Amino acid sequence: MTPRGFRDVLPEEAAEREAIARAVADAMAAWGYGRVETPVVERLDVLEAGAGVDRDAFRLTDLDGTLLALRPEMTLPVARVVASRLADEPGPHRLRYVAPVFRESASLRGESRQFTQLGLELVGASGPEADAEVVAVLVESLRAAGLRGFTVAVGTVALIEALLEASGADGRWRDAVRAAAHRRDVVALDRLAEEASVPAEISAALSGTSRLRGGADAVAEATRLARAAGCADSLDGMAALWDLLAAAGVDGPVIADFGIVRSFDYYTGLVIEAYAPGLGVPVGGGGRYDGLLAALGSPAPAAGFAVGLERLRIALAEQGVGVPTSGPDVVLTGEGERLFAVARQLRSGGRRVVLVPGGSEADARALAERSGADLVRVPDVGAGPDEVRG
Amino acid sequence: MIARRDTAGPLRVAVPKGALFAECLEVFSRAGLDVAPLSDAGRRLVVGSGDVSFVIAKPSDIPVYVAYGAVDCAIAGADVLLEARLDIVELVDLGFGRCRFVVAELEDAADDVEEAYRRLGVIRVATKYPRITETHFAAKGVQVEIVGLGGNIEIAPLIGLADRIVDITATGTTLRENRLRVVEEVLESTARFVANPASLRLRSDEVATLARSLASAVPLE
Repeated sequence: MTPRGFRDVLPEEAAEREAIARAVADAMAAWGYGRVETPVVERLDVLEAGAGVDRDAFRLTDLDGTLLALRPEMTLPVARVVASRLADEPGPHRLRYVAPVFRESASLRGESRQFTQLGLELVGASGPEADAEVVAVLVESLRAAGLRGFTVAVGTVALIEALLEASGADGRWRDAVRAAAHRRDVVALDRLAEEASVPAEISAALSGTSRLRGGADAVAEATRLARAAGCADSLDGMAALWDLLAAAGVDGPVIADFGIVRSFDYYTGLVIEAYAPGLGVPVGGGGRYDGLLAALGSPAPAAGFAVGLERLRIALAEQGVGVPTSGPDVVLTGEGERLFAVARQLRSGGRRVVLVPGGSEADARALAERSGADLVRVPDVGAGPDEVRG
Repeated sequence: MIARRDTAGPLRVAVPKGALFAECLEVFSRAGLDVAPLSDAGRRLVVGSGDVSFVIAKPSDIPVYVAYGAVDCAIAGADVLLEARLDIVELVDLGFGRCRFVVAELEDAADDVEEAYRRLGVIRVATKYPRITETHFAAKGVQVEIVGLGGNIEIAPLIGLADRIVDITATGTTLRENRLRVVEEVLESTARFVANPASLRLRSDEVATLARSLASAVPLE
């Protein structure tokens, strides 16, 4: 029995997960991202310093009463590493991870409490180039995994924040607008924007941009609405970002979407969500969080993304994309030292060899058939392997 | 939160059976969709119509269909959307299916309920919508014990199961027939056109086009 929401992964699935993770890691490494590993357990106060109270955190208590949590995501642990261990080293830091994360979920919904995230953080760099790099690596990571037909939606929380600031409206109205945007409730957003006290240009920009999606034309339209509302600054860099993505050859799957608003207390600019056909939920997401490092005592701009390995695998399966995994090439059966000597010879030639010592040839044949390997019987005496089945 | 389905092919749209069904048909028809398969669906629950495939669903299940991506979009009451609290994009207020969420109690019960609250510090409230009820009373700072029921909520005060109820009412007739009167309003609900967040990005043009034609098809006369 495993605890609710936790499961074992058997070799066939594990091999696929490994292959996907390796392809993604290679894509990230091609941009100079180095892997970090962090403890599975973090102090709860450190987690909360960065991201506010995390109700989903899987909590534990240390023997001295300190509250701990299993990491619910990797951005904060990586930021903590940069703010502490790498504080004296010159940035920017390019860090990637493949890591299990843990989230509490209500009982009886059958949801997993452990997920694996593939992601990266670019710390100490800002501007359109840094944003473009993060989006580009996300696109290339998904491509490397073999995913097709996906969409990476890119927006910014800076726009809505600038509009709220320029509205001159009270805090309650601003919170209501944020909440509606966060719930993706365009109907409520329109209604709030129509309130009499809200200047017409702000109202038009709030309603207009919340349903704006598309390519360079959508960016241009958002810029027009923002300029009319006196908030053009908030979209500085969006047009430049678009040109950079095109130059990087990753603009195909990217759309501008000003309706994406991920958690406000975390993201400060760019926000990203990646969607794959056949999957009703984002396969990954991220954005820019320039305030987080400051909360950890070492201010620095930062951006990153994470892709859910489990979701990515389902999306690939939906598309019938076979993940190339490698089982054994040869099932070797025979007796004693000779068996080991021949196996060594074959392995040094780059072949993967499973040993079936003694035993029945039927067992060895069944194993070879199951794993698509060649069956080779090593004779007791003789110079080389005697192939009985090709 | 993952549904596995073929995403090529027609846009899948969930339609609530029951009270909203006739008006959904009318609004789809005005938006230029062929609703003949929907009106002659018989007992079939998935009916095709060119670029759109309709899924006929129990109203309270629609948020789940949408959030899991089993359908791309749907018409659903704001009431069930609020109660479900799932990741769904609300695109258009269709204006029909208007009803109010109210707190109600027996016509002759006012003093009793206030008295019970003073004495016990808690009011028992029966509802089909525990989350909306909890949020409403929490905002007022009133401690309530919520009794979750599947239907016939009006009966709860009559048989002494609860002091008050939270339920939807369009005309108030059912409340009056059960000797209940409205204590306060919780919120108002109308039908909404909603979409799955992934479908909104992956089938952006189709969803946006349908949203626009529905928006121009309302209000219904």
